[in-house]
Amino acid sequence: MSRGVPAVEDEEEVAEGEQSVSAPVTQEEPERKLTHEEFDPKGTLALILTYFAVLAVMWVFMYFVEFLGNDLIVVG
Amino acid sequence: MHIHQYEKLWLGMSLLLIVGFIATITYGAVGVGVTMVDDSGGNVNPNALDEHPEFSDPGVEQVGENEYEAHVVARQFIFQPDPIVVPANSTVTFYVTSADVIHGFSVVGTNANTMVIPGEVSEVTVEVNEAGEYGLICHEYCGSGHHTMEGILRVVPEGEYNSSDGGEQ
Amino acid sequence: MSVEQETFVDRYPQEAELVRRAFLVAFTALGLGALFGIIQALHRTNVLRFIPSTDYYTVLTAHGVLMVIVFTIFYLVGLYQWAITRSLDRSPTNINFTRAWLTLMTVGSALTGITILLGFVDQVGISADVLFTFYAPLQAHPLFYTGLVVFIIGTWLAGVDWFRTWLHWKQDNPDERIPLQTFMVLTSMIMWYVATIGVAVATLFFLLPWSLGFIETVNPLLTRTLFWFFGHPVVYFWLLPAYMLWYTVLPKLAGGRLFSDPLARVVFVLFVLLSTPVGIHHQYVDPGIAEGFKFIAMTNTMFLLLPSLLTAFTVVASMEHGARQRGGEGLFGWLTVLPWRDPAFTGMALAGLMFAAGGFSGMINAGMNINYLIHNTIWVPGHFHLTVGTAVALTFMAGTYWLWPQLTNRRIYSRPIGLLQVVMWFGGMALMSNSMHVAGLYGVPRRTAEPEYAGFDFNTAFGSISELNIQLAVGGTLLFVSTLLFLGNLGLSMGNPKVEGLGQSLPEPLSGASDSPRVLDNMKLWAGIALLLVALAYVLPLGAIIQNGGLFGMGGDAYPVSVLGAFDGLDAVRELLGVVR
Repeated sequence: MSRGVPAVEDEEEVAEGEQSVSAPVTQEEPERKLTHEEFDPKGTLALILTYFAVLAVMWVFMYFVEFLGNDLIVVG
Repeated sequence: MHIHQYEKLWLGMSLLLIVGFIATITYGAVGVGVTMVDDSGGNVNPNALDEHPEFSDPGVEQVGENEYEAHVVARQFIFQPDPIVVPANSTVTFYVTSADVIHGFSVVGTNANTMVIPGEVSEVTVEVNEAGEYGLICHEYCGSGHHTMEGILRVVPEGEYNSSDGGEQ
Repeated sequence: MSVEQETFVDRYPQEAELVRRAFLVAFTALGLGALFGIIQALHRTNVLRFIPSTDYYTVLTAHGVLMVIVFTIFYLVGLYQWAITRSLDRSPTNINFTRAWLTLMTVGSALTGITILLGFVDQVGISADVLFTFYAPLQAHPLFYTGLVVFIIGTWLAGVDWFRTWLHWKQDNPDERIPLQTFMVLTSMIMWYVATIGVAVATLFFLLPWSLGFIETVNPLLTRTLFWFFGHPVVYFWLLPAYMLWYTVLPKLAGGRLFSDPLARVVFVLFVLLSTPVGIHHQYVDPGIAEGFKFIAMTNTMFLLLPSLLTAFTVVASMEHGARQRGGEGLFGWLTVLPWRDPAFTGMALAGLMFAAGGFSGMINAGMNINYLIHNTIWVPGHFHLTVGTAVALTFMAGTYWLWPQLTNRRIYSRPIGLLQVVMWFGGMALMSNSMHVAGLYGVPRRTAEPEYAGFDFNTAFGSISELNIQLAVGGTLLFVSTLLFLGNLGLSMGNPKVEGLGQSLPEPLSGASDSPRVLDNMKLWAGIALLLVALAYVLPLGAIIQNGGLFGMGGDAYPVSVLGAFDGLDAVRELLGVVR
């Protein structure tokens, strides 16, 4: 990101009261700061491996049962 | 450029998935023998179908012991012939073209599904097994009456098939 | 007021006004498109039919064009104008030029839109019921194609504007990396320039002169192939602004930082390279195209899954990073600490989840021979309502909840209504899209007013067609209500007082631009390779189509969709010149 003012890095607590819909949660200081080295996205890995398994099973079902098991296979 | 090891793993698995998909489709094409509609049907002038040796009188004819050819014309908003009648346990090649706009040719609930484009002939060969009746629909918007464009593909027992009437009953 | 809370509109009032204007057009189209959407959902399921079925196709054309051309692309230009201005921290070189292209796009959309809507009034004799794909030899009124051309020229000039702003920035900052959002804008536009070659050639050289009566015939397969040359990359043109929000805004909403800037750049470069040489996968069951070309398009398409699969990881990891910083623990426990009460976050997260599902049906669509199973069934609109209809549309709406206060200095009217709205969209789409996918597998076609036939019934493995219809109608109704809630919430926001301190900043990525090779920023290189790949994928098939079917086809009439017949341009010219025949 550039050094443009709307893109500044450091944040401070904003004025209290109801914010723009996203403001209250996002303008808070995080409980802790994690750098790239400290952070292993193991939850992400678990989710994405689940997705992989679902994709593989669904693909096999769609191709071999729904498609190849269908009537009038086109052979020429 | 350092990439997290989990991300490298996911990159590898993604490539595996992609290669797996391509391998499955190649198996379907080479192993099972599913072929795609292609340019083998040739070209025709949609305004001159009346003079065409086959499309001027669309219908089914026997071309081999168990092989049949069905010439079908799609036009706003009918299929010709209708019904299309073929015998069971045969190999049928459909040659479908359009006399006007782009249509679809879909034997409902089956894999026989092709676009029909004026100027082009779609050639689709299928193995027909048991006797029965299938719906036939146009699945591409072809004008204000598109939703009425339907037909029937009737598969009759071999003994009941009368080849002399060009497949029309 | 501290400088940190300065909003976009504080710093760039003129640009903010243009962004709002683009959004206004986008949301007008969204509202109209949603109205046509619900009419279709109720009509084709036979729940409520109050228009003649012949008018269904006018509704369908309007729904398609308004949603995927006007809504998506106007939102894109608004978002990209914001993104390039803020990430370069620089105004356009000449803001009047920016105004000019936005006006041009608006005029073009209005022309095309009005031509379509005149299809409801038979007496006028102007109609464009040719659907979003406008396949010849169905022929729309020339104003339909003219509006399209004007619109596309507008988008080209938008790209010129953004490239010019960037080049001037580069002169002042010769050694800096391109800021990520600007990088995304520029790569999207390179893709757009390559993609629109197809539709520009089809429209300018064939369809427009043909609709004016200057040429007699066209080759329907050729114009169709040129349409799909454009028709697939355009889906990434819808998607990339959503990706921009996922990569640069969603991590912030989650309370974290983007996991990897370099990978985001790689993803956008892959879209530049691969999104165009794949269009033939929309034509797997077309006659006149050899199987080999279809196979090449299929492999390219499969590799195009890669950038989206990588995106899934990076975006989820960025959310997890936010959750962990907020104190989230466990393998899945971190999911619970995410800010689910924030409609901007929840909308984008649910949009991403639906994109994962849409990704699967997209993989089926990409598989060459399995296309026989689903081609032109309602499975296909079931698929793209998950992708453009949710991944893109819901992300845009969620992004608006975050961005709008910074464009207006006004708070959003109601956070709970916003939350209800995004959840309702998700639920409605889950129902509608599920029923469409299932019905598609039973062979129910898309693009038809009355999918009930006289001669046969659809065979269903489980459930019944009427159950699926109810699901579709209920889902469609929820989506319509959700759209009204969105538009109402936004409209009421304009009654809120202007306040200070709504400014929001975007955090730096965990792995920044400096970690990525500089070659990624070489726009000329990527544009060159993209053109080369397009040439490899398209020169031979297009050559074969022209060789076999002729540049202007085999003969065959035009089929104007207007009841009064074709517009005759030659006749009009003769009359203008006063030539007596």
